[in-house]
Amino acid sequence: MSEQPGRDRHQRQTLILLIVSLVAILTAVGISILFATQFDRIVFLHFPLGFYILAQGVLIVMVAIAFWAANAQEHIDNTLAESEED
Amino acid sequence: MQPQARMRQANPHLGVYYGILTSAFISLGLCLAMFEQLGWRQSSLAFAMLLGPVAGYLAIAAAARTFDVADFFVSGRRVPPVYNGAVLAAVAVGGIGFFAYSGALFFLGFDGLAIGLGWTAGLILSGLLFVPYLRKAGTYTVPGFLGQRFRSRILRAVASLMQLPPTALLLAAEIKVAALILALFLPLSYSLAVAGVALAITTITFIGGMRSLTWSGSAQFIVGVVGFAVPLIVVSVLLTNLPAPQLTYGEILTPLQRSEVTAGLAPAPPEQQPDAVLPAEAPRASTKPFAQAFGAMSATDFVVLFFCLTVGIAALPSLLARSGVTASLADQRRSVAWGALFVALFAASAPALAAFVKFMLFQDLAQNHSGTMPAWLGQLGGYRFFAFRDANGNGSVDASEIALARDGIALALPIAARLPFVCTVLMATAGLGLALAAAASHLFTLASSLADDVIRAADPRNAMLPRVMMVWVTLAATALSASVFLAFANIDAIQALVAAPALAGAVLFPALVLAIWWKGCTIWGAIAAMLLGFLTFTIVLIFGGSLPFGHDHLTTAFAALIGAPVGLMSGVAASLIGPKPSAAEIAYFDEVRDSRGDALYDRARKRVTAAATAAAASAPTPAPGQ
Repeated sequence: MSEQPGRDRHQRQTLILLIVSLVAILTAVGISILFATQFDRIVFLHFPLGFYILAQGVLIVMVAIAFWAANAQEHIDNTLAESEED
Repeated sequence: MQPQARMRQANPHLGVYYGILTSAFISLGLCLAMFEQLGWRQSSLAFAMLLGPVAGYLAIAAAARTFDVADFFVSGRRVPPVYNGAVLAAVAVGGIGFFAYSGALFFLGFDGLAIGLGWTAGLILSGLLFVPYLRKAGTYTVPGFLGQRFRSRILRAVASLMQLPPTALLLAAEIKVAALILALFLPLSYSLAVAGVALAITTITFIGGMRSLTWSGSAQFIVGVVGFAVPLIVVSVLLTNLPAPQLTYGEILTPLQRSEVTAGLAPAPPEQQPDAVLPAEAPRASTKPFAQAFGAMSATDFVVLFFCLTVGIAALPSLLARSGVTASLADQRRSVAWGALFVALFAASAPALAAFVKFMLFQDLAQNHSGTMPAWLGQLGGYRFFAFRDANGNGSVDASEIALARDGIALALPIAARLPFVCTVLMATAGLGLALAAAASHLFTLASSLADDVIRAADPRNAMLPRVMMVWVTLAATALSASVFLAFANIDAIQALVAAPALAGAVLFPALVLAIWWKGCTIWGAIAAMLLGFLTFTIVLIFGGSLPFGHDHLTTAFAALIGAPVGLMSGVAASLIGPKPSAAEIAYFDEVRDSRGDALYDRARKRVTAAATAAAASAPTPAPGQ
């Protein structure tokens, strides 16, 4: 048993957040590259879809993940601080 | 307590100041546009538009002057997240990204998107893996963090030397881009322009260190955004009737494709492309259809380039050096997210610029039945961004005979759209601003690390010079070295754009990952990660495609992709084989990973100051007359 369960939980949640964020980004990029030529057969906003996804779609997803991860990590940090105060 | 509270408070009028600055810049552009209609000479317009903002940057830097150590190295830790994000984006993109990325997209089209994706993903990765922990450590440099983490001055000096090649490469490339812009529009020789740029960035960093870098960098970011956006939006309105280029350039892709087919540009597999994957500096003809997926490079090359830039940008010293400038960990994370947003906005807009230029070029050629050259190409030739050779000797102009320079594509946009000259010089001012922001940041990162991590490590009692003054010396020496280097050597912007992150990714990324995320990492692990990462990178770079697992294209990017995992594995192996980490190293690791409390470095400085105060108070008061 660890002497600091609050800190261990914090480390675990931080690691999970990191893995989830990285997997989400890599999945988005990977799928976009892998199926780019197939997506290109579909037209979206006058763009070939594969082109649009890599030019803008994945960027939007990545930035959304960046802000979400920053907020989620702040929540995790606040939870640790509150649990230690209790 | 009072001074501490004051230290962490951002100036509440920052928004007003930068609002005024933005208005002043827009007013300058409007005034010069009117003066152009009144018959002002182009040289006078260029002089006012290029040097007016530079004078502004110097004035802001002077207003932010400081001799305080915390202000000089980390801007007093009170920069709001949006402003730090803006400077991060300006440094990540820089002048080389501004000109070379938009140019690369003109030639590579779809395939060039890997660069913008890599930049954005790299910034996000640094925010997840490194930045919050560097902020908690609070050291003024990245090698300083490694030195504290492993309680070693030698490691600190080694890390400082390891971050030298990528940062120096970027510094030289940014100075070159800024000097080329000045030499293009002003009556200056290239050598004089290099000296002028080196003097400007040295002055900015000299008088206020990170503080003046931050506030002048924010102004440079604003100038970069306005100067890039205004011509692009105007051209978007002219071509598509809507002022949202990111959304509307899709409309021109189909007519562009038709024009490309008319001009003889047919989709071809990457192996049939005549040139190297990344377009070189010299003018060349466009041979690949814009929207064709994986026509200049294979999907594997695309992935290699993306990963190289992602790990490289994540570990780029000039970006990580800004990890301690905000008031808290949460602010620091948020600032990286803002930085990623700004970089993504540029990465999403640059393809519109490239598509518009290509569309105008091919449309003009398709509609030009007389076989003569569009007039705007002659104007571009005046800047040495265009070359023509009647290769087939038919006396008319074909697309394959028109060679455009990669770094001139951004400037070609307002020229091709027949916009007033002010728009061309506005675009140049934007690129110059970003180049100066990035160059000053690389210069400060290099100089502060050499002073603090190498010289001060050998002279811990500061017997030679006070801390800030030592940085002044290294700043001057570094800027002078970069200028002398550029007098004799040439650097291709896009090669620097890939090689510097590749080096950082192979050398610094593994060591930082292990130091921050693995408690069991030892000093030997960190040294092995850096040295073997560097060695592997060098071997792959030299032998390239001749290795059994080699790669013919993008050797630099590929070297990073091999170097980084080799560095990681070497670090793990050396840590497991060598002596176990000391209790002090483990305690420091635990403190860095704990999100609560102040920066460790600030705490240590407070303890030292308190001890010195107590010692002075307890010392016997000298008798009167002694």
